[in-house]
Amino acid sequence: MQKSKKLVVLGHFGVGKTSLIRRFVSDVFSDNYKVTIGVHITKKVVEISAGNTVSLILWDLEGTDDITTIRNSYLLGTHGAVFVFDVTRPSTFQNLNQDLKVVSEKLPSVPMIVVGNKMDLVDAIDLKTVLGENNIAYDFLSSAKTGDSVEDLFYKMATLLQEDA
Amino acid sequence: MLNEYRHRFLNESLQFILLDNNSVVVESDDSIFRVMQGESITELHPFFESIPSLLESEGETFKFLCIHLCIHEDFRIVDITILNEKPNSVLIINDLTEHYESYQSAAQARNESVIKTELTVIKNNELEERERFKNLFIQNFSHEIRNPLTSIVAIANILSDTQLTDQQRKMLDFLKESNAALKLMLEDILSLGAIDSGKLQIHEKSFDLTKLFRLLHFTYKTKAKQKNIEFVAVFDERIPDFVEGDRLRLYQILTNLLYNALKYTDSGKISFSVSFNQKWANKVSVRFEVSDTGVGIPEESLESVFESFTQLDVDQNKDGSGLGLAIVKGLLELMGSKIKVTSQVGQGSVFYFDLLLKYPLHVVQEEPKRNTSQIPRDIKRKAKDKVNLLVVEDDERIQTLILKTLVDAEFFNVEILNDGADVLKELVNNQYNLVLMDVDLPNISGDQLTRLIREFPFKNIKDIPIIGLTANAFNEQISSYLASGMNEVLTKPFEKEDLLKAILGVLR
Repeated sequence: MQKSKKLVVLGHFGVGKTSLIRRFVSDVFSDNYKVTIGVHITKKVVEISAGNTVSLILWDLEGTDDITTIRNSYLLGTHGAVFVFDVTRPSTFQNLNQDLKVVSEKLPSVPMIVVGNKMDLVDAIDLKTVLGENNIAYDFLSSAKTGDSVEDLFYKMATLLQEDA
Repeated sequence: MLNEYRHRFLNESLQFILLDNNSVVVESDDSIFRVMQGESITELHPFFESIPSLLESEGETFKFLCIHLCIHEDFRIVDITILNEKPNSVLIINDLTEHYESYQSAAQARNESVIKTELTVIKNNELEERERFKNLFIQNFSHEIRNPLTSIVAIANILSDTQLTDQQRKMLDFLKESNAALKLMLEDILSLGAIDSGKLQIHEKSFDLTKLFRLLHFTYKTKAKQKNIEFVAVFDERIPDFVEGDRLRLYQILTNLLYNALKYTDSGKISFSVSFNQKWANKVSVRFEVSDTGVGIPEESLESVFESFTQLDVDQNKDGSGLGLAIVKGLLELMGSKIKVTSQVGQGSVFYFDLLLKYPLHVVQEEPKRNTSQIPRDIKRKAKDKVNLLVVEDDERIQTLILKTLVDAEFFNVEILNDGADVLKELVNNQYNLVLMDVDLPNISGDQLTRLIREFPFKNIKDIPIIGLTANAFNEQISSYLASGMNEVLTKPFEKEDLLKAILGVLR
């Protein structure tokens, strides 16, 4: 049976939320940055196991450097959240734990995945050191450009949502 | 019923859709999107898939701003209001595409600017960090290499005063030449480090340009002769003799250009000219040019020859640090000028630059200087009683050089201390005329000791001349040692002539 699950993708502006979704849904990537205003909604059906699918309704929310300003209406009926930060810009992750706390308060009991994007632009070992030093816990380090970890993170979320159902 | 809503929201960009409890379209005015009666709203766009759960909250109103909808290939940015009323819920779509698109442009410009600034700051921080690391490396490298180099120079000097066979003397001369080359290379690295970090400053004062020209002419004519190369030098008479500028740095620039010309020319001619461009008020524009008939530079390398550690591929066996032209470029930029080059492979190269120099209207002649490496008569006269000199130096090899130099000069009594902790006691108990103080001493540094001496209550100790000896050759380090109260600072490696000059300069 196919279930429909609303997934919000949020984080600071310019971290690559739209690019991750475009890579996941259409397998395309563009280096041109186009600001998202409001929300773009797309859909992709993920097959968790044979005959077992989840229809992910992906809400690509406008990025903001103040996560408290996210419109609550966008979060209504959310089943899962993906929080994205940009590994090349410390301003997008230096208050990550505080940002995640805000999101958890807005979305209580909703599974959340934390993703560091644009990892193709940095040295993986240096990055892990920096994130470790800043006490940043993440679930995936991804690259919308190369496609690294993109399928995995959404598949992981789909699995979590199915278990949650 | 629709008309009633139309009256409430009189706007042609509004679309009203009536939905039943199952999210099926009951009625639509189709003013924006064409929606079929009887179809489920959830089929139109993924946004509407959230509608069924919202319709469960009876009597509530939900408002969604700035939703991107694309229905039947018609793209709009809309606000959507859902009124959960009975018997049917109402969906109001407000088309604000134009408004949001203009907002999008503003947001685009703002976000791009913020990200660009952020990335620039990160990049600058990285560059600064690299620069700091590089300077620290140069500083440490310079310090570490100076001490052993001083020892090599010291031993070579001591050896040269012993009985040697011709073959041994030749080898010793070669060793001395290598030392001198290594010392020059160290100076190059330090200069470049100082230029890159912005620490090098240009000091402009009046100097005799013709004298500088004659010095270079003499030096390089001699060197060219040794290679059987013709050397021609021309100084334009219209240029004032005295100009204002940084003589030391101009000398460094011209030396580098002439050294390079000599290095890459095996036959033919090297020309050095200082020519007049123009003059107005108290300023004169002067062109300095060094040309050679050497190997020349391929066109594709004309830019890179000014980068650090660049040497032409044509001959990898040439000596030098590969920093000379980078230093020339950096120094000229500091002087507000630019080095230019034209070259043809196999024909030779021409390096030139223009400098705008002020010239004083009233020239104050320089006092003729005495040859400071000679022991002046007044010092010799005073030296009837001999000069008592305290050397505070823990490196035995440097001690040997100092001892040998001073004993040879015959009019110094020398006492050596290894540890700075004993200095004050020694000064109180004995009469000294001068202290030679290493900066990097165990237990207490030479500059700290100098400060203590300068604060001492007894005048004869407080005012004693102190010459610092150090392997730390950066300008700011030397300035800080002078600020501690040292009268003079001698950087390692030094020759015995340098040591004598410094001692005599301070005693005078």
